[in-house]
Amino acid sequence: MQPQLKSKVRCLDREVGEVSRVIMDPLSHEVSHLVVSMNGAGERQVPMGAVQVVTDDLVQLRTSSSEVMGMQPFNREDYVTLHEVEIPGLEKHIHVTPGEVLVPFPELERNVKRRAFFANLTYVTGLFIGLPLVYPVMKFLMKPMYAPLDNGWLKVGNIGKIKTEDAGIQFQYKRKIKEVYMPEAEIEKNVWLVKATPAVLEKVYQGKNMEFLDSSGRAIWTNKKDMPYLAFSGKCPHLGCAYKWRKHKVLGQVFLCPCHLSIYDASGRVLDGPAPRPLDLLPIQVTAGGEVQIIDMEFKAGTKSQTRIV
Amino acid sequence: MSDIPTAGEQPTVAEKIFTFVDERVGLKLLAAKMLNESVPGGSRWAYVFGSILLFIFIMQAITGVLLMFYYVPTADHAYASTQYILHDVDYGWFLLSYHFWGSTAMVVCVFAHMSQVFLWGAYKKPRELIWLVGLALFALVMGFGFTGYLLPWDQRAYWATTVGVEIMDKMPVLGDFLARFLKGGPTPGQMTLSRFFVIHVMVLPAALIALAGLHLFLFRCAGPAGPFRGAPAELKAKTDYFFPRQIWKDVVGMAVVFACISAMAFWEPVVLLEEATPDPGDYHPEPEWYFLFIFQHLRLKMFSGELGQFLGSMGLPGLLGVMLVLLPFFDRNPERNIFKRPFALIGWVMLTASILLFTVSAIINRDFLD
Repeated sequence: MQPQLKSKVRCLDREVGEVSRVIMDPLSHEVSHLVVSMNGAGERQVPMGAVQVVTDDLVQLRTSSSEVMGMQPFNREDYVTLHEVEIPGLEKHIHVTPGEVLVPFPELERNVKRRAFFANLTYVTGLFIGLPLVYPVMKFLMKPMYAPLDNGWLKVGNIGKIKTEDAGIQFQYKRKIKEVYMPEAEIEKNVWLVKATPAVLEKVYQGKNMEFLDSSGRAIWTNKKDMPYLAFSGKCPHLGCAYKWRKHKVLGQVFLCPCHLSIYDASGRVLDGPAPRPLDLLPIQVTAGGEVQIIDMEFKAGTKSQTRIV
Repeated sequence: MSDIPTAGEQPTVAEKIFTFVDERVGLKLLAAKMLNESVPGGSRWAYVFGSILLFIFIMQAITGVLLMFYYVPTADHAYASTQYILHDVDYGWFLLSYHFWGSTAMVVCVFAHMSQVFLWGAYKKPRELIWLVGLALFALVMGFGFTGYLLPWDQRAYWATTVGVEIMDKMPVLGDFLARFLKGGPTPGQMTLSRFFVIHVMVLPAALIALAGLHLFLFRCAGPAGPFRGAPAELKAKTDYFFPRQIWKDVVGMAVVFACISAMAFWEPVVLLEEATPDPGDYHPEPEWYFLFIFQHLRLKMFSGELGQFLGSMGLPGLLGVMLVLLPFFDRNPERNIFKRPFALIGWVMLTASILLFTVSAIINRDFLD
């Protein structure tokens, strides 16, 4: 039978202490040593070869107590517990239940400095693989994110459609897009036109022409302050929904966004709701024949100032 | 008061988080269990292939996911989107070429890994199950190569698939069904591309992750086989743990493989042929190099006729597969030293030599076709 923990240990001459731990051999899966607690005089490692008989609560050694005192002292650092190591099948061989059951920490693993050295080398080598990939992968993923802006004029319809002043009239238009490898496609968009009275024009332009600049600061177009037609981007500046021209019980005819109930008057000014800025004005020109042309622009929603994204 | 820690001994935030998790899931014990795996006879460079395969798979998964940011699996745009990745997207050529050469590295390392297990006799009791799951993983790797080859939708892709599926068609009873199942119809087209795509990016990765997990679990149950010679005392003296020396060797192996794949991607980036069409023009269809030996031996006279075709394309490879599956159950001799297992050694040499022979002759044959 296997020696039990807490069993008394008796030498040829006298009792010397009790079994405090058991050490297993990782290859043979058998108990190789007992650790004997020497009644307060430290712990000794006793090989199983020195054991004569094992009974329920006693281990009889075939050596004298002085020989046991001369055996190798037990050093806990040289061992790991069974829970910290993976040795297949070992646990099936253990019939010792309470306390610590140990297996020796391999000779090669005892030098802590070398362990740390190899661990650090491993991290460095891992970085050698990972770091060079960060920049290429980011560039790879960012390719389509910053498309150039298009400042071409698009025909949206004829002003003959506008019968009333200071009212929102929706004009649908088509825009050609070419996305990466896909064939050229047409998407439908809309813009709100207002034929403004001088009072509304004054609210919009406040006596100054409105200049549109490209990203490098060059002028693209100037909306003249006395040109009566206004074009508003169809995208609500709050969070990008599509707003409508609707009758409001209290405020009368207004631009109303159905998503979060932002309300704007015919000049695009915010009357109510969460919108952070007025409706976005677009560059507009009207030919002698009444054909309306705009530059299709979209601005980032939700910000106080305008940031153009399309 | 001695139990109040001074400022210098305050645990850092990272330590606090670690302790918090450790108290709940036993992180330290788990890490110890993972890292303190005895390697009988000590760590060796020879043991790096399993870890390298895992690394290659992870890199294939990463580059594959990145490629899917741009690739579309449709017959009218698969080719254009692949060309877009190669020519327009920053570093797209590198990621696609890495993915391509990664698959080659995978096949090379799978062959090395399997050969090693075979020659070391590591498939023997109690490791039969690891071997079986490993064979299934090998089949998955081949499946990855076959399905991935079609996705760029160029002539090479189209024709390799056409011929490959024709081979499958020769299987008795199930052949016609399987071929139609894979093609999604009588001839290759959009349905084929959709099926190959979903098999390549969903079905096979899920199966591989599951089986690789099982492979590792079974490996941990049985433990590493260790060297096939050496006295127990000698092995014990040389034994160390998986961490740090074996992990260090594994990571160096991964870095070398990473550098090799990257170098191949630089020197031999992927170049597509014309867009796929059922008119091959001047193109001589040929499969990827690791299928060349099967392709080449089907040119032999002895594999002509219906029976010969079946033998060459399905019969012999199938027989080899069955033999590999049955291997650990017939080879019950516990002797692991390859120099004391003449049949195993001769068998391995002959198989490797014939694969080499047929591959090289397929390459030489190219000159007679131009």
